[in-house]
Amino acid sequence: MPNLHNYLITFALGASILASPMVLAAQEGRFGYGSPASAEQIAGWDIDVRPDGQGLPPGEGSVEDGEELYEEKCALCHGSFGESVSGYPALAGGGGSLTDPRPKKTVGSYWRYTSTLWDYIHRAMPFTQPESLSDDEVYAITAYVLHLNDIVDYEFVLTRDNLTEVRLPNEDNFIPDQRPDTRNKRCMKRCKDPADVKVASEAAAYVPEGGPDALYSEVEAQEDGIVTTVTGNGVYERHCALCHADGIGGAPAIGDTSAWSARIEQGLDVLYRHAIEGYSGEDGIMPPKGGFVNLSDSEVGLAVDYIVEQSQ
Amino acid sequence: MQKQQQLDQLVRSVAESGEKLNGAERRHFLKNGLALLGGAGLVSAASGVAAQAMPPGIPSWTKSLGSAVNTNPYGMPSPHEAGLQRRTVEWLTADKIASVSFTPLADLKGIITPSGVVFERYHAGLPDVDPNQHRLMIHGMVDRPLIFSMEDLMRFPSVSMIRFLECPANGGMEWRAAQMDRLQFSHGMLSCCEWTGVLLSTLLQECGVQKGAKWILAEGSDGSHMSRSIPMEKAMDDALIVYAQNGEALRPEQGYPVRLINPGWEGNTCVKWLRRLEIGDQPWYHREETSKYTDLLPSGKAREFTFVQEANSVLTNPCPEKPLTKPGKLWVEGLAWSGRGRIKHVDVSFDGGVSWREARFTSVVEPRALTRFGVEWDWNGNPALLQSRAVDETGYVQPTYSQLRDARGSSSIYHKNAIHTWKLNSDGSVVNAQLA
Ligand code: HEC
Ligand code: HEC
Repeated sequence: MPNLHNYLITFALGASILASPMVLAAQEGRFGYGSPASAEQIAGWDIDVRPDGQGLPPGEGSVEDGEELYEEKCALCHGSFGESVSGYPALAGGGGSLTDPRPKKTVGSYWRYTSTLWDYIHRAMPFTQPESLSDDEVYAITAYVLHLNDIVDYEFVLTRDNLTEVRLPNEDNFIPDQRPDTRNKRCMKRCKDPADVKVASEAAAYVPEGGPDALYSEVEAQEDGIVTTVTGNGVYERHCALCHADGIGGAPAIGDTSAWSARIEQGLDVLYRHAIEGYSGEDGIMPPKGGFVNLSDSEVGLAVDYIVEQSQ
Repeated sequence: MQKQQQLDQLVRSVAESGEKLNGAERRHFLKNGLALLGGAGLVSAASGVAAQAMPPGIPSWTKSLGSAVNTNPYGMPSPHEAGLQRRTVEWLTADKIASVSFTPLADLKGIITPSGVVFERYHAGLPDVDPNQHRLMIHGMVDRPLIFSMEDLMRFPSVSMIRFLECPANGGMEWRAAQMDRLQFSHGMLSCCEWTGVLLSTLLQECGVQKGAKWILAEGSDGSHMSRSIPMEKAMDDALIVYAQNGEALRPEQGYPVRLINPGWEGNTCVKWLRRLEIGDQPWYHREETSKYTDLLPSGKAREFTFVQEANSVLTNPCPEKPLTKPGKLWVEGLAWSGRGRIKHVDVSFDGGVSWREARFTSVVEPRALTRFGVEWDWNGNPALLQSRAVDETGYVQPTYSQLRDARGSSSIYHKNAIHTWKLNSDGSVVNAQLA
């Protein structure tokens, strides 16, 4: 880069506009571009809130007021109890689940600071009308979401002054980045025993454009020399988890023992049949093979075994 | 003679309109189109058309005039390339407003991602921002809070750099088992462009950062007001305030008219439609750096501010979208990248990691950019397990799945950079697989 400082000074002096901000800028080694931001301009956009309370506007809101607002503006997507509707994020529940194979991360189980909740609702929610809530409404709805997570009681009123005192259960469970945390070696020859090379899981086959014709068929009959293990876990992840992981559309969630106990009592044969042929009980519709008709019966069976094993 | 010519003409026009379609559609069209003409003799006439275009025949486009200059004032890819598209995975997100689309890596060459197929990630949909009214405000712990118009920003000395952009959730669906059926979905939250703009450090100097300032909050002007806390060291190192991509203004999908690029860091920190930078002395702990973009470990603890995208690589040929058609020699190639700097080596294995061969770089090797590598291979038609392994200039070696899971379990969603396996079947088809 040319010596900008000198250049600007020479330019400014040459043009003899001595008292202008440009000259001052140049003397300080700056360009002098842009215009000063007034306090009023900054206030219009400065919406962020920090854990220490910096950025919180005056105001307050009660759990009770928040309940009504939440029902009207939030429950549609997040559920009346914050349990989630149609795949939108859950806002409550999941306490103690962070070490489970399927952790449920919510405001109550995972979030670190109350200020984050206030800030996020204020900046981004309700989803279809961001920045439409008044400050008092944000206090009230924040209070209600805290209440849904059993963090404050029903009589609570959230204010600018007490917000930083409301601590979330998971606050102390965050740690700094520790990567690199793996130490692979650059081995080139005989890096492992060929007998140990086994496929643990496989995604569904993809048929590229042009159809199967595009594949080479003359060697198709050749022995597949590789041991392929289809696992129940793998089938479950690809084909069943989208409903059974979180209980979408009435599906009993994996690991939810109470939702599964009566079902498991029917016996595995019934469960296999219901999973393969489809089933509609009181809770919703289980499509045949979860809608993946290309799955073999035994693949579905493995997934049922896996679900049952995880839900006992 | 006359009749034969008319017939030829008809067959040719059927065949030509068929060329505009692709794959199965095209075959269907040709079949029906030819059936319309009737007469068994015509089938051989049709194959005659194909033969006519190739040597020694002369194709129709060689014997006629094409369209005039500026028929397309902004040129588009050939209609034959209509298959090159971003695609989505329906079940990933509740709707398509806060969602993601994937780059079609299998069909791309070199290291630059064409602007039209750079992956998208929105949290409140794609905003339509008026560049004349858009402003970038810098305030907080500075001597001179300033507001910049686009014109102001473009007056500063400009800097261009080729850098990858990757969502830290890229491949996140694969933590527990091989899941996505093709390269576009297993690795497609990844792109690489030439980005042009002004260094953030230049703007900060302009505002005069005060003593004790350590963090910067970057915020977007879309409905989600996406916000992330960025450490001052990154801002003073190579963070770029970007207004152009691959030689032209940023695409709306990539943050038009101005965005932040933190080279080598998670894509989410590269806030789009950037409206505000606030300088402070501590991070803000906003939703996108606590609820999301933190890496949960088996202990229940979660790592926060995990910015860097570690070294990673994947084979793009073959891959599920690019099966092999016959045994014999082929050019196996792929992409490697590291958020910590340059790629130093890439090794390729055809036996599931028992032995490795060093690949050759076939592109420029820029720091924090996609790097193209390749190696010649003679496929004997037997099933094989293909892998690639990147090593970056810090000496870091891309890990295996088991190393990664030993360190982080399988619930951390982000930063999955394990050695990837394509299982090549004897019919030439390629399937996403994970080894035990
Ligand atoms: C039309 C559906 C919809 C409505 C109504 C809605 N939200 Fe949301 N909410 C979403 C979506 C979608 C996301 C995720 C956005 C993203 O990931 O970028 C979300 C995310 C959130 C989150 C963060 C969840 C997490 O775990 O990170 C909170 C908190 C939240 N919403 C609160 C609210 C509140 C409070 C209201 C009412 C004032 C509300 N939402 C209304 C759709 C909605
Ligand atoms: C589209 C959503 C969806 C998918 C995908 C899905 N399920 Fe279900 N499943 C359901 C619902 C809903 C029910 C509860 C039906 C009821 O009891 O009314 C259910 C119930 C079941 C049951 C219990 C049946 C009983 O008799 O109580 C089993 C077993 C089961 N599913 C297995 C599977 C397996 C295995 C897969 C994957 C191959 C799968 N499901 C995929 C929605 C789904």
